[in-house]
Amino acid sequence: MRTQYIARQREAHGRKAVAVLPVHYPKEILTALDLLAVELWGPPGAPRGEAAGRLQTYVCSLVRNALAFLAAGKADAVEGVLFPHTCDSIQGLATLATDFGGWGKRAFVFQHPRGPPRPSSRAFVEAEMRSLAAELEPFAGRALEPARLAAAIRLHREVDEARAALLDGRARLPMDDVALYALLRRGEWLWPGDHLAELRAARATLREGPVQPGVPLLVTGYVPEPAGLLQTLGAAGAYVAGDDYAAVGRRVVRGGPERPGDPWAELVERYWAAPPCSTRSADQGQRMRYLSGLLERSGARGVVVHVLKFCEPELFDVPAIRAAFAAKGVPLLYLEGELEAELAGQTVTRIEAFVEMLGTAGRAA
Amino acid sequence: MILRRLQYEMAGRVVGPVVLALEEWQRRQRRRGKKPKESPLGPPLECTRKLKELMSLHYLQGRYADGAVPVAWVTSGFPVEILRPLGFHVVYPENHAAMCGVVRMVTRLSDAVEKEGYSRDLCSYARTDLGSVATGETPAGRLPRPDLLACCTNICQTVLYWYRALAERLKVPLVLVDTPFVYGESKPHHLAYVRDQLAELVEAAERVAGRKVDPAELSEATRLAKEGTRLWAACLATGKHRPAPWTGIDGFFHMAPIVALRGTEECNAYYRILRDELEDRARRGIGGIREERHRLLWDNLPIWFATREISTLLAERGFNFVCTSYTNAWAEAGMRTDPADPIGSAAVAYTHIILNQDLRNRMGILSRLAREYQADGAVLHSDRSCKPYSIGQVDLKERLARELGIRVLLLEADHNDPRAYASEQGENRLTAFMESFG
Repeated sequence: MRTQYIARQREAHGRKAVAVLPVHYPKEILTALDLLAVELWGPPGAPRGEAAGRLQTYVCSLVRNALAFLAAGKADAVEGVLFPHTCDSIQGLATLATDFGGWGKRAFVFQHPRGPPRPSSRAFVEAEMRSLAAELEPFAGRALEPARLAAAIRLHREVDEARAALLDGRARLPMDDVALYALLRRGEWLWPGDHLAELRAARATLREGPVQPGVPLLVTGYVPEPAGLLQTLGAAGAYVAGDDYAAVGRRVVRGGPERPGDPWAELVERYWAAPPCSTRSADQGQRMRYLSGLLERSGARGVVVHVLKFCEPELFDVPAIRAAFAAKGVPLLYLEGELEAELAGQTVTRIEAFVEMLGTAGRAA
Repeated sequence: MILRRLQYEMAGRVVGPVVLALEEWQRRQRRRGKKPKESPLGPPLECTRKLKELMSLHYLQGRYADGAVPVAWVTSGFPVEILRPLGFHVVYPENHAAMCGVVRMVTRLSDAVEKEGYSRDLCSYARTDLGSVATGETPAGRLPRPDLLACCTNICQTVLYWYRALAERLKVPLVLVDTPFVYGESKPHHLAYVRDQLAELVEAAERVAGRKVDPAELSEATRLAKEGTRLWAACLATGKHRPAPWTGIDGFFHMAPIVALRGTEECNAYYRILRDELEDRARRGIGGIREERHRLLWDNLPIWFATREISTLLAERGFNFVCTSYTNAWAEAGMRTDPADPIGSAAVAYTHIILNQDLRNRMGILSRLAREYQADGAVLHSDRSCKPYSIGQVDLKERLARELGIRVLLLEADHNDPRAYASEQGENRLTAFMESFG
């Protein structure tokens, strides 16, 4: 489906496609240059192809799968790859695939400033964004005019606003998690305008009052894979009321100051206005406050921490998350996965037991 | 404060040397009359005793450092020269974690933080260090409480998460020098970013130390660090002799001063003595192992808890690690520093650390080392705890074998956690590897 969509975008609009590794990147720049971003989150399942053995098994499955996928020519529909420096492993993948084989077409990198916002990192973000744009311009075959960048930022603001409305109004949305996440995650490869149309249609179905019957949960993690997790939650009688997935909720920028006439400044502001994310080395205290707020806003009765094995940015935050919710007396379920295609039976049982426990506690209250 | 400072100075200048001299005397008494054990290794380096003295004094003095002088905990790739003129006593948690690894404390310390929710999949240095802070257990007796945590991402992003956890636990400020990764050549705005951060670092360190950096002292610290780098490089270069006068494993231990005391005269004085001893051994044909038949390159961190077993196993069959990419890292980047421009040159030097550069650069370094040291084989330690060093090793193995015609082994282990290393399996793999040389 994605391959056909990419081909249609090229035929109908002349848009080149760029595969993008997780997590954060200035998508507005790609949109402004008429480049279609197609994100590469694995894909799930065991790594396949000759390159599957080029990375040790203690490297996260997302990176192993991505290398195998790229090297097997599965991403040949795109004409370039963008590697945001999310973690040591994706940084390693960027040099491995481009220097030692696995990706022969154009490669771009976007380096995040690590650590808290400081004068130096604020200046660096803008310089890095401009540097990326300068490299993408000849690839896209067009210059990045400020007006186009401003228009792209407006479009992405609207996308974020619609995504926020669906996530924040989750209890009032007559849609199960599987359908909702399929919709939200289509934003990983659809042209933002096409995605916005779908989001608006879903937003129009929001009700006045709650319609979700199950146990509300807060889920924090990297990426909602396998999709069977959402299905299992639903079948057990729960739904995701608060989303803190790096792939979803942590990329929804709410508000952020507008800077008419200075799109670069606005882009930088949007960068810093995103929710705190471990992969951008957010301050832990700030992140715990954000998660506590999300728990309260969403009315979640329990927390699921859904971590990708070997993901250092996420794993380093787990003790703080455990401690923060333990202090509030909020039950927490810790799940660790490796981008399996299917959820293991043992995990299904743990989810069912957790939801049952919350349901019983809720009825008793 | 004055009393504390007095204790600190006394520990370093009087008590420490006396205690260490007494320990040495006792050790000699115990050994008197005993025949030295048969070993496939060469005669021990005289300098090893001096190394022990130097590092013991550093840690002993450190016990009295907090409250006497400003204390900083820093990462191994941090531009420490900037802290020297401000009188910081500097502690290296990585070096300390390695000490814990050598004395096999890691499992206990790691368990302590795994109970808090830290995954065993995280770096074992980080778990060791956090466990030491959580339990107060350390082979150093006591570590001084830091006034400042100083972290540089040129070795990995992990250190940022690790130091952030330390900052949260110890409630002390954290300064960060973030070095963008280098593909080919670094971009001007990347170096500008690092320079800007170094300026921010100077301000933060001055606030903690309560005084300003004297430019002349900063220049002198940079000169000393550069000189120390040159001396360390000279020590390593003696490994080019046949037989090599020491082993790569010796190098892992003797690198402690260039990591922990870089930018001090004590560090340089030590390496002058070590260099002289190594050159003397080379002249006299004294090898790091008794009979050197094959010369190997080691890539990645050591396996701290198994260094002796591995070096002995190899030495028994005439194999010596004559060079290692890890120890070499401290002989390279520092060469780019310039006392005339301490900040600007530090930005360049500390951005161009081996782990902060692409795999083409890494391949170049490994190839050069293998050629210059005439290695006929290489062991790439696939280190479960160090992703930046280990990603790409499968390809490096193939390329080294193909381009240099040498035998290469990928050995899976962990630099500090013995639970991630099967010693029997490792021994079998090393033995089979050695047998392949015929």
